[in-house]
Formats: sequence, structure tokens, C-alpha cells
Amino acid sequence: MPDLLELCAAAVEAAEGGEHVEAFGEERSTTSVEAHRGEVEGLTFAESRGVGVRVIADGRLGYAHAADPSIDEVRATVARARENAAVASPDPFNALPTAEPIEPLDGLFSEALAGMSTDQKVPIALEMERAATTMDPRVGKTESVRYGDAVGGAAIASTEGVRVEYRATGCWVVVVTLAEQDGDTQTGFAYRIARTVEELDHESVVAEAVERAARMLGATKPATDRVPVLLDPVAASSFLGVLSDGLSAESVQKQRSLFAPLVGEPVAADVFTLVDDGRWLDGPGAAPFDGEGVPTRRTELVSTGVLQGFLHNTYTALRGGTSSTGNAVRGYRSSPGVGTTNLFVEPGDRSLEQLLREAEGGVLVQDVSGVHSGANPISGEFSVGATGLRISGGALGEPVREMTIASTIPEMLRSVVALGNELRWFSSIGVPHVLLGEMTLAGV
Amino acid sequence: MLDRDLAAEVLRAARARGGAFAELFVEERLGISVRLDDGKIEEVTTGLDRGAGVRVGHGTSYGYAYSNRLDRDALLHAAEAAAASVSDGGPGSVVDLRSLEPPVVHPSLVDASAVPTERKVAWVREADDSARGLGPEIRQVSATYADSVQRLLIATSDGRWVEETRPRVRLSVSAVAGRDDTIQTGFHGPAGLAGAEFIEANPPSSTAEVAARRAITMLDAVPAPAGETAVVLAPGMGGVLFHEAVGHPLEADIVDKEASVYRGRIGERLAAEILSGVDDATVPNAWGSFSFDDEGAPAQRTVLFEDGVLRGWLYDRLRAEKDGVPSSGNGRRQSYAHPPIPRMTNTYILNGSSTPEAILADTERGVLVTALAGGQTNPATGDFVFGCAEAYLIERGEATRPVRGANLIGRAIEVMSHVDAIAADFDIWPGICGKDGQGVPVGSGSPTLRISRITVGGTGA
Repeated sequence: MPDLLELCAAAVEAAEGGEHVEAFGEERSTTSVEAHRGEVEGLTFAESRGVGVRVIADGRLGYAHAADPSIDEVRATVARARENAAVASPDPFNALPTAEPIEPLDGLFSEALAGMSTDQKVPIALEMERAATTMDPRVGKTESVRYGDAVGGAAIASTEGVRVEYRATGCWVVVVTLAEQDGDTQTGFAYRIARTVEELDHESVVAEAVERAARMLGATKPATDRVPVLLDPVAASSFLGVLSDGLSAESVQKQRSLFAPLVGEPVAADVFTLVDDGRWLDGPGAAPFDGEGVPTRRTELVSTGVLQGFLHNTYTALRGGTSSTGNAVRGYRSSPGVGTTNLFVEPGDRSLEQLLREAEGGVLVQDVSGVHSGANPISGEFSVGATGLRISGGALGEPVREMTIASTIPEMLRSVVALGNELRWFSSIGVPHVLLGEMTLAGV
Repeated sequence: MLDRDLAAEVLRAARARGGAFAELFVEERLGISVRLDDGKIEEVTTGLDRGAGVRVGHGTSYGYAYSNRLDRDALLHAAEAAAASVSDGGPGSVVDLRSLEPPVVHPSLVDASAVPTERKVAWVREADDSARGLGPEIRQVSATYADSVQRLLIATSDGRWVEETRPRVRLSVSAVAGRDDTIQTGFHGPAGLAGAEFIEANPPSSTAEVAARRAITMLDAVPAPAGETAVVLAPGMGGVLFHEAVGHPLEADIVDKEASVYRGRIGERLAAEILSGVDDATVPNAWGSFSFDDEGAPAQRTVLFEDGVLRGWLYDRLRAEKDGVPSSGNGRRQSYAHPPIPRMTNTYILNGSSTPEAILADTERGVLVTALAGGQTNPATGDFVFGCAEAYLIERGEATRPVRGANLIGRAIEVMSHVDAIAADFDIWPGICGKDGQGVPVGSGSPTLRISRITVGGTGA
């Protein structure tokens, strides 16, 4: 079986006169273990690879991809991409990046994780499920307890001289618990992602999932009130996901970003600094180069409240008269878009205890729902459902549910008062606790 | 796609260490998408995907392994990996593989893969022209045409041999309208389990006009009022709500995990007496339809609610065998890369006896929702939230000003019990439903209906 870079190189060799051709190859082996009621409920193994080919001819872009292709099939894929280019519109900004030196990024690949046997993984899920159902008498069941890992790599070759590859490992655990009392049911979600099993610290994930479910028991719908709001990292990460769409140059150029005219302007409170850093090893999105072979880097998007700029791939950079920030994001089934690598809010200086004292009389929002359907990425308006706990005397108090928070993303960014000192990662979004000023929590 | 001897050999390897059954799922999918954005044919993509998954079931547990290689070595390797999760004794048998006759076929008249790409390009251009033709407010249009043909083969150790070809077509349009500093978006995207004739029946110009008109209308929207009010849902929208808030908690895996608000309550009245609802994979050429599910069980119609009484769950094979009932044909998967789980197909509320005019006229004050933007539900508690993409105030029995930023928030049983009027103007909406990281095409349908009171979250007073 040819290796990925060989397959990609074969695509480049199939280029015809004047064509710019790039092949992106990807492969992954994954294992996932799901535990339920003391047993392994599901065990899934997967092996997959694929190659995607971009052909640019006379400014026209065509794309084709194939699962596990042979060298001959890679050539056929180039031919299909070529046919597709013929019917596309010419665009002067369609271009492939020229090769740049890539600084290796050590630490992406863990031999220990890659060498783990299934017999070593199964007990992790079983132990988590057992712990989750025995820690608190009110939490006797789980909805989902899952361990997963992946060993994979990517390779890129192009007619512009790009020829790069890297390998990486990752593992994660997800726990959703069920708490029950007096006919009330509540769920508790917790998640952790890391490069090695040791870093997962899965015992603490279980404890968090148990606590999050149990403390919501007996939640009531509160009266509408305007109070300080402390966003738990889970809740804050949902908003960051919506915000990140508006910081892509693709959204800006397509007039789909409310931040388009605001570079150099204050868009958030002074305490708020937002960074995308593809070389930040603690983040799961780290890689030495992006989906086009451009080196990744650190990009400050918002510095102490002031909008600095946007994320670019080669296309948007050319169109915007700037250079790529190494944010081409893709799988082999699609040509590169613009996306985040590791997007995170620079943590602040407050412990959770300090934040709770500062949010006296307010609410800790534990979960928000409907952010993706309830938030308009263009206007920034949102109205979302929320659950959480009242804050009183510097501690968490009674649980509340069925609240709605309605505001706008810019208003929310401006109302940030303080940030927690611990960053939590949700997939490749990192965020601490976020204390906001007063917001209206609508209940009855 | 694979000869029967090799399939039988793979199944025997998968049952080497026992288990209740083994299953082989082989798939090949060829598709094209044409994307227009900002007036340009931005990208044309062709994809060929294929692979096979082997599953061994034992109780409600399973081992699953897949590969995107289809050679004998790769298939046997996958079978061994899947078998490794079982240790309940000696090898199991494999019954002779026999072809099953489909209970329903969804005829495809015009093979979309044979339609020249230039024609598909012309369709998205037509959509662009029509959307922009609605007015200078339309600032941005994107249109995507996509078709795919999924060929699949399912073989099981108890002798099922199922082959099916599923053609799917979709043309969707997203429009951005602007006036001064206000920007609004509109989306519409009809889709079917059909060939290219679907596009003739659902012309790109009509799709584009719906999306563009929605965006323009919403420019005049005022902030939605917050609080409890009556909500009238336009045809199809009640189905979207029914799918999310009711359908998911009726999926047998969620029930089995005791994470369903409906667990243990079959036979109880948990919705208004006027409400009956079904899941039906046999609706001709609907987006969520098929001939067999992804475990080889025949497509069927399953009654979920009858006159407000809960009647049944949505079963896949593992959960059905555990409960000792036949599968309801709801075992579905996104692709060979995913083990099947209980999923909806086309889920809908049946026609009632009222009319949309009468329902509106009878509503003194409330909100009319003509397009939902998607939602989220917690099956364990029944709590749900839905965003509204297009909605209007109802004042003295008439739909008046459009409202923006409206969210519907409630709990499944309570809200379904508050349905107090149902019309007979049924419509079905296509969508992609996500669960456990798998997306599958589904239809959601309903006639116009009214919920007497539900919480609307909004920014207005």
C-alpha cells in the first residue's frame, strides 16, 4: 500500500501544462469504547484514508476526492477535478500557496497512546461508568460513557513545491450522567481531550459529570430578573463557537460578519483577549501546518478588547491583499475553508471562588441550548435557553431552569467583567469561566 | 458489490467467538455538488466513497469495525476486530444468504449522475437570478445543488441479503437581505429520495424565491415579545418540533438507557387527544425514506401517538431483540463508518379537521411561526429550545408584523398536551438529523397547528 505522501505526489505528477494541482491525504485509526451498566456496550474500530485533489486551471477551481485510492485511482481523481474546474467560474484569487519551510512541532504524537492495546482501553470506560454510578446516591445511571482515541496523519503535495506530512494522536472521554430524585431527572455532561491517557485525568471528568447532574435536581423556573451572569466554560464555549464564524475572513468577504468594519476598534471589554494558535500544544487543534501546507502560527484576534484582524487561508489572503494566517481548515472530502486551529480566550486572574464572590446575587449558567439555532451570526442577536444555579454568599445555591437569555454577541463581549484563571478545552475551543455584568434572565 | 461466498466467509469470521448475530454492511457512494456563491460557480466537487463495516451483536452490546478497503484481507481483518469484543463461546453459524424483496420502492425516473454538470450549473444560476430578482435588498445569495447515489449491500448471519440503491437530490438556497444596518437571512432547501426529476418538480427559481422573500420579510421584523403565548405553527413546522421534542425520546436506545422522559409510559395519554403521529419510511420518494433500513429490516410505518396516547418506540435490531419484539425498521447509520442506532425516518403529525384560516382567526394574540431554524432537546427531561427563522405576531386573529429573535422553549409532554387545534394542510420538510455524531436525512411533517401556550424567548417587551 503506497504511503500518503506517495499518493499525493502521484496526483501532482498527473498535472497537465499550466495546471496547479494539490493533493491532500488523510488517514486515521480510531477506537471507541462505550460502557453501560457495568459492561462494554460498544466497541468500534476504524481505519480510513482518503485523498482530495484541487485542480486550478485558468483561475477555475475543481475538486474531487476518493476513499482509499490506488495510484491509478488518484490519477482518475485528478481527471475528475479537472472536468469540474472546466465548468466553474474563473476567480483571480484561486491559487495554491508556494512552499514555505515548516518548523516541526514535537509532542503531537504519543508512541504510548499509539501502542495501547484495546485491553488497556476497555477498563478506562468501565471504570468511569462504575465511578459515575456509585459516587452519589442520586446518580445511579449514565446516558453515555465513552472513551475514544485516534492515531492519524495528513500529507500534502502540490505543483508549487509543497511536500509535507505529520502524524498526531489524541484521546478523549465523554460522560453524561443521569440524576434522579422525586420524579425529577437531570443530566450532567463532562468532557476532556488530551494527547495521552495520563493527561485525560478521567476520574475528575466523572466527578464533574456527577456533580453537574446532581446539583440541578429540583431546578425551578425563576422569575425574570436582571442579575450578574457567570458563564461556566461549557456555556461560554458555545458562544465562542458562534463568535469564531464572524472572525473568519471568508465571512467578512462574503459580508456575513458583523465584525467586518471594526478592525482597530474596541469590540470587547479590556480584559478580553482572543487568540488562535495552531502551535499551542495543549490545544487539540495543534499542527505544524494547515490544510494547504502553510505553517501555523499565533494570531491575536482581539487584544485587550480591540479587534486586530481576521483569520485567513490562501484564497482570502490573496483577495484581502494580505498573507495567510495558516487557517486553512479541511478534511479530504472538501477544499480548504477558513477555520480556527486552537481558539482560546486568554485566561484571567480570578479563581472560581473570587468569581463567585463577585457575582453575588447572580446566576452561574451551567448550560445553554439552542445557541446554533438561536444566534444570528450576522446580526449577532441571540436568544438561548439556559440552566444554572443561583449564586449567594459566594457559593452556589438553588438550581434554576427554563430561563432564556436574549442579547447580542457585541453586547455580551462588552459586558465581560472578569475571567477565570483556568482554561478548559472543548474540542479545539479553549475558555475559562467568564463573568458578565448584569443581563436579563427571562423566566416566568 | 461483493459475491455471496465472500460475504458468508466474512460473517463466519465475525462469529468466530459467538455473539447473537453478525452483519456486513458494504457501501459505495458517488456524488457531486455544485456551489454558487457571490454570483460565481465557486466550486464543483465530485466524490467517491466506499467501505464496509462488520458488526457482531451480543445482547445490547456490539463490536464494530470498518475499513474503506473492500478486499478480502481487509474485510476479514475487520471481522476479526469486531469479533474480538465477544467471548461467549464457540463459533456461531451463518445461514444461507437469501435476497429479500423490498416492501416499497421509491422510483427514480431520471438518473441524476447522467445529467451533464453544465445542467446542474444552470440550475444554481437560475436560483441566483431568481433570488436577486426579488429586489435590491438581496445582497448575497448562495445556492448549492447536490446529488448522490448510495449503493448498499447488507448481509447477516441469519440469512438476510439486501441490496438497495438510494439516489438523493437537493437544491438549497441561502439569501442575505440588507437595508441600512439591518441584515437578515433566509434559507430554503427541498430535497428528495429521487432522481433529477425532483428538480423539475421543485424548480430552483421557486426555491430561491422562498429563501429570498424570507430574508426580505425579516428586514421589517421587530424584536419578538418574551413570555407565554399561543403559537401557531405553519405546515411542516409542527413536525420539526415533534421530531426533536417527541421523536428523539422515543428512540429505543434512549428509552433503554432510561434517559427518555417517555420511558415506561406506553398506553398513557401524553399529548392532546386530537394529536396522532407516526414515523414512516414508506412515504414515496421522501427525503427520509428507504426500502430497507441500514440493518436490512423492511421500511414500515410506525404509530407513535394515537389520539394523544403513546403507542410505540422506534427500534433498531439490538434494542428490538432485547425487548423481544420485531425491529420497527429504524436502524440507520450515516455511512459504513458508523454502527447503526435507532433513528427517525419521516416523522409526522397527522392531519386534523380544522383549517389554517380558522385557527388563525380564533387566535386573539400570539406568534405564527412559518420557519423554524432548528433546535435542541434533552430527551431525559423533555426540555427543548427552537429558534424561529421566520415568524409573525398574531394580533386579533391576523398575522401582522414579522418578529425576529424568537425562541420556543418548553417541555415535550406539556407542550404536546397544549396542542388545541390541527388543520388538514399537511406538508413535510427535509433535514439532516444529528445524533451521536451521525447525520442522516429525515423528513418532518405536520399540518398547521396551534399550541395554546408556550414560552417564547425574545428580546422585545
